[in-house]
Amino acid sequence: MKDKLFKLLLFVASASVLLLTAGIVYALIGGASQAFGEYGFWEFITNSEWDPRSATEEYGALSFIVGTLFTAFFALLICLLFSLPVALFNGEYFKGTKISSVVGSIVDLLAGIPSIVYGLWGFYMLRPLTIELGINSQGFGIFTASIVLAIMIIPYASSLSSEFLSMVPNNLKEGAYSLGATRIEVIQHVSLPVAGSGIVAAYILALGRALGETMAVTMLIGNTNNIPKGLADTGNTMASIIANQFGEADGIKLSSLIAIGLLLFIITAIINFVAKLIMKHMSRA
Amino acid sequence: MTGRKQTSISYRNSKNKLVYILVCTLSFLSMLPLFFILWEVVSRGYKNFNLQLFTEVAPSSMDAMLAHANNEPIPGGILNGITGSILIVGVAILLTIPLGLLIGIYLSENSQKRFAKLVSYLTDLLQGMPSIVIGIIAYAWVVKPFGGYSALAGSVALTIMMLPMVVRSTEETLKMLPRSYKEAGLALGSSYINVVFKILIPSGFGGIFTGILLSISRVMGETAPLMLTALGATIVNWNVMQPTSAMPLLIWDFYNDPNLVDLIWSTSLLLLIIIFLLNWLAKIVARKWKI
Amino acid sequence: MKKILLFSFIVLVLGSCGKKNSLPNGNVVISGAGATFPYPFYNIVFRNYMKQNQGTAVNYGAIGSGGGIRSLRDRSVDFGASDAFLSEKELESMQAEVIHIATCMGGVVMAYKLSGVDSLRLNGDLIADIFMGNITRWNDARISQENPNINLPDLEITSVYRSDGSGTTFNFSEYLCSVSDEWNRDMGKGKALKWSAGIAAKGNPGVAGIVQQTEGAIGYIGSEYALTLKLPMAKLKNKAGNYVAATLETISSAANINLPDDMRITLTNSADPNAYPISVLTWILVYKDQQYGNRTEKDAQDLIDLLAYMLTPEGQRVAAQINFAPLSEQALMKTRKLISEIHYSGKVLSSHKLDEASLTTDSLTIN
Repeated sequence: MKDKLFKLLLFVASASVLLLTAGIVYALIGGASQAFGEYGFWEFITNSEWDPRSATEEYGALSFIVGTLFTAFFALLICLLFSLPVALFNGEYFKGTKISSVVGSIVDLLAGIPSIVYGLWGFYMLRPLTIELGINSQGFGIFTASIVLAIMIIPYASSLSSEFLSMVPNNLKEGAYSLGATRIEVIQHVSLPVAGSGIVAAYILALGRALGETMAVTMLIGNTNNIPKGLADTGNTMASIIANQFGEADGIKLSSLIAIGLLLFIITAIINFVAKLIMKHMSRA
Repeated sequence: MTGRKQTSISYRNSKNKLVYILVCTLSFLSMLPLFFILWEVVSRGYKNFNLQLFTEVAPSSMDAMLAHANNEPIPGGILNGITGSILIVGVAILLTIPLGLLIGIYLSENSQKRFAKLVSYLTDLLQGMPSIVIGIIAYAWVVKPFGGYSALAGSVALTIMMLPMVVRSTEETLKMLPRSYKEAGLALGSSYINVVFKILIPSGFGGIFTGILLSISRVMGETAPLMLTALGATIVNWNVMQPTSAMPLLIWDFYNDPNLVDLIWSTSLLLLIIIFLLNWLAKIVARKWKI
Repeated sequence: MKKILLFSFIVLVLGSCGKKNSLPNGNVVISGAGATFPYPFYNIVFRNYMKQNQGTAVNYGAIGSGGGIRSLRDRSVDFGASDAFLSEKELESMQAEVIHIATCMGGVVMAYKLSGVDSLRLNGDLIADIFMGNITRWNDARISQENPNINLPDLEITSVYRSDGSGTTFNFSEYLCSVSDEWNRDMGKGKALKWSAGIAAKGNPGVAGIVQQTEGAIGYIGSEYALTLKLPMAKLKNKAGNYVAATLETISSAANINLPDDMRITLTNSADPNAYPISVLTWILVYKDQQYGNRTEKDAQDLIDLLAYMLTPEGQRVAAQINFAPLSEQALMKTRKLISEIHYSGKVLSSHKLDEASLTTDSLTIN
């Protein structure tokens, strides 16, 4: 009897996750409905106007969608340059050694630093550097935000990738070595192809992180409501426009911000789904 | 192969070496930001890292401005942020642990059921959700219906962030336990509930506790969801229905105000110390209670 | 009048669920809410008032002008506070006559950072073109023309504006609307605008922070904040053609023009020759007839005493100490007259503070 009740409790607790998710979707759609009703879904996401003046009030998400994708993909590109070597270092060259665990845990510590501290560091250290480099005159913008974003996602991309690399069966690699292949050739023709889709999944997850990152980006991107035209340009991401304007928004503006939140939720949900699908496929193969 | 040159031994060897050096260099470079950040925070933060930080509430912009005008050090500390973080994260822990454990147990025991697979998928979905979106949710669920910003709303937001981590670590830890533990318990006539609480959870304590510690360290520095929910307060507040400050919220306030900038680094330093301590503790627990 | 009577009646009937003005121990609470701009001034002047009047507590919530107007309309506060006077339409929506008590003045200054340039002159057109992105470099011929003896660097201009909705943005844009047709057409006025150039920062402090940290930056900041921080700021050309630095005196001077009896006026681009062009008033809003809800005559009297105290030389000196500009002589006179018109269901209330204020105004000094 008691056991049955306990099992029921376990079930109910798990069902609460369903409820939670339903509540999230309901709250987001409910909040966004006014904006989508007023502008139409398609028009909302293809309109780059963000005009809060009461006489001509009009809101669209395009600038922020572009800003988000721009920063996230550029960050991913930079991240790739560093996290792939870290993954090879830990999962291939120094697999299982003491130095690899040191490097691994140092890089992992990067994941523990709060976003807002990254933002501070970006503002006080990276921004003067950006000005010095002549990227632009005030140091804010896509470039600065992306660099910090890249550092923030390095641990996510590298730890998962190195795990997949270290799972590559030794006999495969040994086969290649016995044929006279050098290490890089083994990596190129054996390790990377075998661990490939797992590594891709790791980067997709890292991309998901980058898309939703808020504080550091808000502090560095310049917060202008336009479609960024280049790396030196300022902009806003979907997360940063919400962080900037949610507090005082009302009516259709509030609804538009929630609508942007809903879009962000959908994008990250799809990205996570794809990554999980790839990894599932991996574990089956 | 595309040509003789690329297949020559010396070319292959030097390519091998080059990549090796490149991998080592870039891996080394990847570690540098951590030290840069730590250096920045420590070297600028230790000066104001004093008792006053823990005993006084954050100064208003005006007080700080007047102090600046008189060339005095700015008054105040971050007491309201420390107590606020304790309140908000504490309530979030109370909400998360029971729920997270129950769901984790369910998933580990019923992993083949379709319902469990759905729950498991949704847990992943929650884990990937951007923190700012979670802030909107807590705003819609708590702030709006109760007619005001509150510590509770902040706790709800942090709970949504912590839950997936606690569920995952519980589930995975319990799955790693040998089936014989459970079977032995049941064979000895123990009830299911006893097996779970007297055998499974104690055996997997290390893994579960590690998961909880890591989830706390992750939400400790969260700012964006609290901006939309707990809002911030200038006083020490212990009422969960009132607006409350938190350490990351104070950092955000200090960042936005040149008068208060002196406090920004010591607050960040304290926050980093807490987060790294939690991480370190998690590592020790994981090692000590290894299954 | 009929409307007011009807309303008072309804409120009286509903009085039981109204708020309590008196604490059990006989202490009085005066509550207000509204604008954030004068908050530091109110904070200190109310604290002083409470020190002198034991048993009286003044509560002020800086929730924004819009919130202050809404709270007064809901009768959930004794007074509202606003940086913009009520429009005819808003006045009507209040369902009873509301009067505007001016309390102090402020301005919007153009803070900049240019190494080696410690004096800069600008006019409204230039500011408009800088913030619209039409002028992008400091050595632009039109800026040089205003600053003939200054060597301006060949540097990009970074204009900094507010990312949050703000009365400062409203006053700034209202001024530019009055001096630039292009601004009026393309940008308009409002608490938040659609910007096409520059970068955004949160609050006066956020803008000040970025201006201080960025070579070549220029931003608009509330004078009370900028003056205390002693930021370098531009002299602006006023309507009379003079270049005027923002000081408490020049801001107060903007009110040395013919003021309307109800004190509802915008003072940007004032015609006074000494006036700083982006100067504004801020108001406390109260109902002229204080008999509504379950308010007692004493409640009304306490409120009037408080308002009168803010206009005394002592109250105005507090403003000046924290860099809010005191009201001009004429503004003080007109405002005192408005306070004296506040009544309790027809019964005229007066305050000894009011007499005190009018007797000693000449002793008002600005330090």
